[in-house]
Amino acid sequence: MKDKLDTGVLTKNFFKITGFALVLIAPYFLPAQNKVDLSQLTSFKDPAANWHIAGDVRADLNKNELLVLFPGNGILVNQSEPGKHGQDLLFNTFHGDLDLELDYMMAKGSNSGIYLQGRYEVQLFDSWGKITPTSADNGGVYERWNDSKPDGQKGYEGHAPRQNAGRAPGLWQHLKISFQAPRFDATGKKIENAKMMRIELNGIAIQENVELSGPTRGALGNDEVTEGPLRIQGDHGPVAFRNIVINKYDKPRPELVDLKYEVYKGKYEAEPDYKKLPPEAKGTSFLLSSNVSNIPNEFLIRYTGTLRVKEPGEYNFNLNTAGGRGYLKIKDQPVIRLVEWGGKGKITLAAGDAPFELLYSKYYDWAKPALGLSVAGPGVREYLISDVNVAPGDQVDPILINAPVNTIMRSFVDIDTIRVTHAVNVGSAQQLHYTYDLDKGMIVQVWRGGFLDATPMWHSRGDGSSRAVGSVQRFGKPLPALETLSSPGASWSADTTGTGYRPKGYVLDDSDKPAFRYQVYNTLVKDASRVLPGNQGLQREITVQDLVPDLYMRLAEGSVIESISEGLYLVDDKSYYIRIDDAGGAMPVIRDADGRKELIIPVKNKLNYSILF
Amino acid sequence: MNHSFRKKFNRTSFFFLLLVVAMTGINGSAWSQPESAKEEDYFKIMRVPAPEGIILEVGGLCTLPNGDLGITTRRGDVFIVENPTSQHPYFRKFASGLHEVLGLAYKDGALYCAQRGELTKLVDANMDGKADIYETVYAWPITGNYHEYSYGPKIAADGSFFVTLNCTCPPVWWNMKSNAPWRGWALHIWDNGSMEPWAAGMRSPCGISMVDDELFYTDNQGDWVGSGAVIPVRKGAFMGHPASLVWSGMPNSPVKATREQVYAKNPPPPVEFDKNGQEIKPQNDPAGKILTEFEIKKSVPDLQLPAVWLPHGILGISNSEIVKIPEGTFGPFAGQLLVCDQGQSMIDRVFMEKINGEYQGAAWAFRSGFQSGIVRLAWAKDGSLFTGETNRGWGSAGEATEGVQRLVWNNRLPFEMRAVRGMPDGFEIEFTKPVNKKYAENLASYNVESFIYKYQAVYGSPPVNAQKCPVKGVKVSEDGMRARIIVGNLRQYYIHTINLDGIIDQENSYSLVHPTAYYTLNNIPEGKKLAMSEVSTKSTAGKMMPAPDKSKAVVTGKPVVKTAKPVAAPATYTFAMIKPLLTKYTCIACHNAEKRQVGPAYIDVAKRNYSIEKILSLIKNPQPQNWPGYSTPMAPMPQVPKEDATKIATWINSLKGGKK
Repeated sequence: MKDKLDTGVLTKNFFKITGFALVLIAPYFLPAQNKVDLSQLTSFKDPAANWHIAGDVRADLNKNELLVLFPGNGILVNQSEPGKHGQDLLFNTFHGDLDLELDYMMAKGSNSGIYLQGRYEVQLFDSWGKITPTSADNGGVYERWNDSKPDGQKGYEGHAPRQNAGRAPGLWQHLKISFQAPRFDATGKKIENAKMMRIELNGIAIQENVELSGPTRGALGNDEVTEGPLRIQGDHGPVAFRNIVINKYDKPRPELVDLKYEVYKGKYEAEPDYKKLPPEAKGTSFLLSSNVSNIPNEFLIRYTGTLRVKEPGEYNFNLNTAGGRGYLKIKDQPVIRLVEWGGKGKITLAAGDAPFELLYSKYYDWAKPALGLSVAGPGVREYLISDVNVAPGDQVDPILINAPVNTIMRSFVDIDTIRVTHAVNVGSAQQLHYTYDLDKGMIVQVWRGGFLDATPMWHSRGDGSSRAVGSVQRFGKPLPALETLSSPGASWSADTTGTGYRPKGYVLDDSDKPAFRYQVYNTLVKDASRVLPGNQGLQREITVQDLVPDLYMRLAEGSVIESISEGLYLVDDKSYYIRIDDAGGAMPVIRDADGRKELIIPVKNKLNYSILF
Repeated sequence: MNHSFRKKFNRTSFFFLLLVVAMTGINGSAWSQPESAKEEDYFKIMRVPAPEGIILEVGGLCTLPNGDLGITTRRGDVFIVENPTSQHPYFRKFASGLHEVLGLAYKDGALYCAQRGELTKLVDANMDGKADIYETVYAWPITGNYHEYSYGPKIAADGSFFVTLNCTCPPVWWNMKSNAPWRGWALHIWDNGSMEPWAAGMRSPCGISMVDDELFYTDNQGDWVGSGAVIPVRKGAFMGHPASLVWSGMPNSPVKATREQVYAKNPPPPVEFDKNGQEIKPQNDPAGKILTEFEIKKSVPDLQLPAVWLPHGILGISNSEIVKIPEGTFGPFAGQLLVCDQGQSMIDRVFMEKINGEYQGAAWAFRSGFQSGIVRLAWAKDGSLFTGETNRGWGSAGEATEGVQRLVWNNRLPFEMRAVRGMPDGFEIEFTKPVNKKYAENLASYNVESFIYKYQAVYGSPPVNAQKCPVKGVKVSEDGMRARIIVGNLRQYYIHTINLDGIIDQENSYSLVHPTAYYTLNNIPEGKKLAMSEVSTKSTAGKMMPAPDKSKAVVTGKPVVKTAKPVAAPATYTFAMIKPLLTKYTCIACHNAEKRQVGPAYIDVAKRNYSIEKILSLIKNPQPQNWPGYSTPMAPMPQVPKEDATKIATWINSLKGGKK
């Protein structure tokens, strides 16, 4: 193929262009972290006896509704006496708009939920292995309920997660919720529904902008309010929480009023002397927008007006001036100085009106005009104060690869900062997938949910890479799976140099599942994985044709590796399990590796083990 | 030949001409020659119907021994098409999930393909019609840069394989690198997984082929590569792009050339950074020292010069696969080469001969008008030619993003130069049918010029050192099939543009379908020169020349009667007035007036409101960063004279508010 313009240069500009669109997905300004004190139960209102503080907690993959508590603090646990129903837990604090972020752990077969304002439930559930989740599964927005309807029709408006991003019982799962409270007018009439702006489970968005026409089933009250208590369901089985961070956004947004604009024609890299310039157009606008100029390029828009601040405090601004320069002045002070492509700045404002001035000078002819300004402040979640309908750059149709049957797709795969160049993505109809590194014989990631986003590889020139669509579990830096060790303490090598490693590709079985093959230490290794029954994880079988003395397999690495029963390990702060299914009697070893832990095991002719997650 | 058809054809065109004359009132002299036939009168482009929904961004094509067509795609699929030349081909998905496959070959019941990072063997062991063994034959290192494409394999006589690997392209697009071993190399691989590095110095070796059991390739214009070309790839050779020489010191490298050797005579410009720390693209310096590849070869003997240059923008901008025309196929052209091009969606024809042990020869345009950029060619069993196409992300003259088509010869003989051969005192031109001797013996029917490309690290090497070559005499063979011309100012290694606009055939008085040959004169053969007594030296420029054929753009200055006084430049230009300039300077290879192709439409350039001066400067030193949606950067065109550039710029700006 012929050469082409480097994507790097363009990508940089692309991100410059799309910068303010990204802002809305991933807030740039992180407010002060308000972590809930879990050293004791003082953050909660009259906690019932089923709520405990613990230092560690474990589930049992074989026993329903059981969490085992260990002394200490930092973890909030719901665990009832056998045969007793627990009660829900109310936080002392009331909230309207909020961002909530936490880790949680389900017991096997357990059911819990988080009620925003005590009324709108995000379901927490042991949905381990479920292929098609409903609104009653992990991450669902629970249904509403109408008793007047006949049976079977009482439930309505439940909102299923986009995919099952949930993990096995006993693993820490990470949940982020952005919630917007309902809005009321002065008479108390609801003018805007409550909204789950975004729910992110184990790293991926599973719900976005889900409107709630009213409280979900089991709400604290069927009324809707500006503020209500955060509430955790405690009556349907054990659940544990940690690292609960709450950010409330209960303060009114600043507003822009009395906006006036003037449009000047020409290329201005510095501020012109307006007195000598007749404006091409001028007027008033209710919206801060680049659309007031009809000139595609080489124009300057100057907005003046008033920023009406209700809550005093420090405000952060993020300005995007696609294809040109801009500045932001408030109270005649420069908040963002005249810079290309925009910038960021902050200013402390008292309540009241402040003069506002914004400049957008656009002169790069190849860029589309697009002005964006976002604001975050005390108790104010970052929001776009400018026109939301200004399109920054071209939008791209995503190219998604589904796996309705066993599906293989090779691509480059990025594992954090490392690009795996000889990667094979293996997808299954059970929606449990993995990536195999042919250079190392290592499974570098597993995931649940959607298979692949091939847009980076197949759109336009592409960069040869694809990305997992679902929720990913990675296994650290790609390293050779098998190595001979002079002693069980010898460190693991970074690559296959000196081992005679040679990839031999793979052979498909009758259902198109691959068995990878490679040569190492003068023998042939076969490496086949299958999805476990119940979609609990991946079972891997390594077959070594000829015995290789002192051969080991590196099963896992992590900050912590816990041996919890014979052949069962919890890895990396309870991120996933490793289960030895058949090692021919060999015993795994947990050892230190550069301040972290490694799980290795001697390998003779055959090794069967599972990754449960 | 089908005489009745031809007669009918002539009569039809004659009546058509009469009609045109009646309608337009053009004067009599303009229709004294018949409308000449065109490419499409001989070579038809056919569809290969494919099931809806299949995305055929072709990377590899090969015909299996049973006549089935194997196709690999960027999306990682391998299709085997049964009955591919019928009205109802059957597409069987043989394999899937491969990494941007850019080649396909068949050997001993298996298919072999180059993925990004390895050569793979595909076997259907259980005979269910799809591959179940995906065996890595040999895996090579790759950094994961988008530009690191891998091509092949081609199968050598002994059953071993050749693959070629693109250079790396970070972080700036104008300066290719080789960031992993063997990027920019050809590799020689055996079934048992052993590999020997074969040759280095490739930039973007998309087109490789075994021609008579010898490896050839085409490269793509850019830094160090002035133009596409057909080049033999011999073991240990350095093909011209120095980036890959970073690995020539590896223990198993047969390549002895080093970057230091090249840089000693031809240093790259210093890397400079702007105030933001961004690397600045070095600009072509029209006043700078002109170095060519053949001059550098004096101190880098392993540097392999092109056998046949395919002038950039004329015979393609991104040359791809080479195929040899089999015996009994495509009539008079059997045994010659065809080369496809992605950006211009066209096929070139190449005649090669060996002089003093080195290849050289002539190249012509052959057939354009394909629906998308062509990257692969494969012969069908019936002698038609499959074209594997894709343009996604790059743009091409054919606007479709992908597909497979088929080129079919209708067994009618086009009037073409069959071959051009180097002679001690000029060239011998062989025709496909007898020429009209009256025209052929007139020196004014011939025009020869020569030029070469600058060899430099700066992206985009303009043609340089252009000179006229006087045609001093011509000897036309008795049968009218050959014309041997005595040409002055022959220059070794130069591309000689041989234009035969004035030649017509004896039978129909047609002009040549492609009147311009580009002959790369690597060696001037020894031998007997023609005596002036043997040749015709008459030249009657401007008197008996055929009327300009309006169907064809005139490429080089043909002898026409000049008006005595310069006519005042018109205030506005029409496309018809500007098109010859756009053709001459190869602008039209990438730009269309109204539609986006490889480059932006002129109508979109007009919207930028550039001044005439700005356009002139952009022609000399393009700013590709101004067009972020376009993948192929424009090469600097300092060779466009200011007067012509001004006309083009004036016309472009006249397009504001609609096409003129």
